[in-house]
Amino acid sequence: MYACSALTVAWRHRALLWALTRRDIQNRYTGSVAGALWAFMHPLALLALYAVVFEAVFKVKVPNLFTGQPYVLFVALALWPWMAFQEAVMRGTTAVQQNGALVKKVAFDHELLIYSAVLSCFAIHGVGFAVVLVILGVLGFNIHFLGLLSLLAFVPVLLLMALVLALLLGALQVFVRDVEQLLSQAMTVLFYATPILFPMAIVPRWLAEAMHYNPLVHVIEPLRNGLLGQGSFDAESIAWVAFVSVIAFAVARAFFLRLSPYFEDMV
Amino acid sequence: MSETQQPLIKLAGVGKSYPLVQKGGHQLAQVWSRLRGTEPSHVFKALQDISFDVYKGQSVGLVGVNGAGKSTLLKLIAGVVKPTTGRLERRGRIGALLELGTGFHPDYTGRDNIYLACALMGLSHADTQSRIDGILAFADIGEHIDQPLKHYSSGMVVRLGFAVATSVVPDVLITDEVLAVGDESFQKKCIVWMENYLNNGGTLLLCSHSMYHIQKLCKQAVWIDQGRIREKGLSANVARNYLAWHEEKGRPSKVANVSSKTASQDTEGIYHVESMNLNGIDKQQVISLNPQSDLTVSGTVYSPDGRTPHIAVGIVRADGTPIYGIVSEMDMHALKANAQGLYPFEIVFKHLPLLPGRYVARSHAMDPEGMRLFDHVEQSFDVLGDSRELGYVHLEHHWVEK
Repeated sequence: MYACSALTVAWRHRALLWALTRRDIQNRYTGSVAGALWAFMHPLALLALYAVVFEAVFKVKVPNLFTGQPYVLFVALALWPWMAFQEAVMRGTTAVQQNGALVKKVAFDHELLIYSAVLSCFAIHGVGFAVVLVILGVLGFNIHFLGLLSLLAFVPVLLLMALVLALLLGALQVFVRDVEQLLSQAMTVLFYATPILFPMAIVPRWLAEAMHYNPLVHVIEPLRNGLLGQGSFDAESIAWVAFVSVIAFAVARAFFLRLSPYFEDMV
Repeated sequence: MSETQQPLIKLAGVGKSYPLVQKGGHQLAQVWSRLRGTEPSHVFKALQDISFDVYKGQSVGLVGVNGAGKSTLLKLIAGVVKPTTGRLERRGRIGALLELGTGFHPDYTGRDNIYLACALMGLSHADTQSRIDGILAFADIGEHIDQPLKHYSSGMVVRLGFAVATSVVPDVLITDEVLAVGDESFQKKCIVWMENYLNNGGTLLLCSHSMYHIQKLCKQAVWIDQGRIREKGLSANVARNYLAWHEEKGRPSKVANVSSKTASQDTEGIYHVESMNLNGIDKQQVISLNPQSDLTVSGTVYSPDGRTPHIAVGIVRADGTPIYGIVSEMDMHALKANAQGLYPFEIVFKHLPLLPGRYVARSHAMDPEGMRLFDHVEQSFDVLGDSRELGYVHLEHHWVEK
């Protein structure tokens, strides 16, 4: 019920949610000469960097990968979803604190701050991902475009996971400022605990078993496999992950709403 | 009539505590206690046991020194803060002007900021679009509206903030020292807006340090002192007692205790007009004057500290339109204490040139510096006659033969 009423709140205040999200996106690019162009430049620059380092210097080959599918493609397909997730959690964590002026002076649903922070990150990196996919496609890389359909299942689940963490940590951050510091450490660990630079297939068995407790594994890996045209779409697995995410979201939102009346005391 | 309605705002024993900042692991302990629904151990009680109701059409002023808890109370009523104890009921749309321009972002244009600010008030995009012309007209910013806010003068930001906040006419308007900012013409615009709003049945909660604004805009007032209600009642009474209390505080400890027995109880501590007569008749009656006859305003002034007060005497139309006012200080006239320690005064207006109608003579006690005005005593009088002249005053004139 907590999960459903979140949708009600978001819909009722859609004008505010939209305005806040727009502001979050604008915030990063206003005043810069290239403006929103940076949203495209950043992923391209990163992609070029990875291409040089991994293709030209390390000459990395991923086992079990079809021919004609270089490592840079392999990394790119997992990196953008990860960046969206990571940034959404980081920004969501500081969202309430950074909007302290609003929290102190205006009566509104604080959860919207979290939602807008997460949505804006997904929007920006969603665009970046689309640009990268198009470029890679144009360059002749073998992207399985039917796999794009599976994004419709994976991206919402990833978004939900980001919301869970952002709600929990965002509320906690208001009271305990250490959260932000700990988070950047934790994110580095999580990055390597998620199959982004490597496929799960080459992870030793004992480690893979431990990694399966990381819910991101069940989203990022099949998402990339789908786009690479490997493996098959496992509806049961994603449904299970989605179910757990919804439960977690309900708990996280209850936690957030329990603490939100006291935000004004602390920001 | 309004007493039988449901109040728009009802506070019953409302209190608000703030946790005191602590170091170390206490923050985690605080999260835990919040989750369990218990209060942290170390709190500052910003407000305690506040109870009052606000009905539709009422205008209530909040007075009190800085840190008394006024702003916290307004935040509670605005819904920004939840009460720690007690019950708070709110009905209708509550518009809060806690700080003009809240939520404005300096990097965005005025127009973009309007949309976000309106969204914060719960307006949809379409609602905002339908109101934007009115907002632009009231804010009067001109072409700058499409410039980033950081290039605005502070006055422009405030105008924009007020225009946005008043674009939706709320059932209850809550304002916190809003009138203190902005230039003279903006203040006037705000006051006119608020008076219109009140005349159209609006409900106002105003927090101000200006007793003038409180008395002008509010019928009721609540005096908050150290987180508790010290007094509530008619704004004129509350404002007077509040000023008296300030005088008391600011007065040197050695008190010239001249005539405290003759002073009435509630105005003991301030300069005030003790008595006032028109042509020797006291304030209970409306007196009648023939045109061009003399008017003598006399009375006594009380001084709390033995220093010589000044007296301001004025004549206004029954509707409040000022006609003439004079302060003893302007004429370098010094009052002299009588045997009881009061300061009698008497001023004569020879051949009063007022046209027929009802007028009010007012007198106000002022401090020895002639700076501050303390009270307000008035008595009505009628000027008789059937002159067809227009206006208030007969001006000496003659027609020239051509």
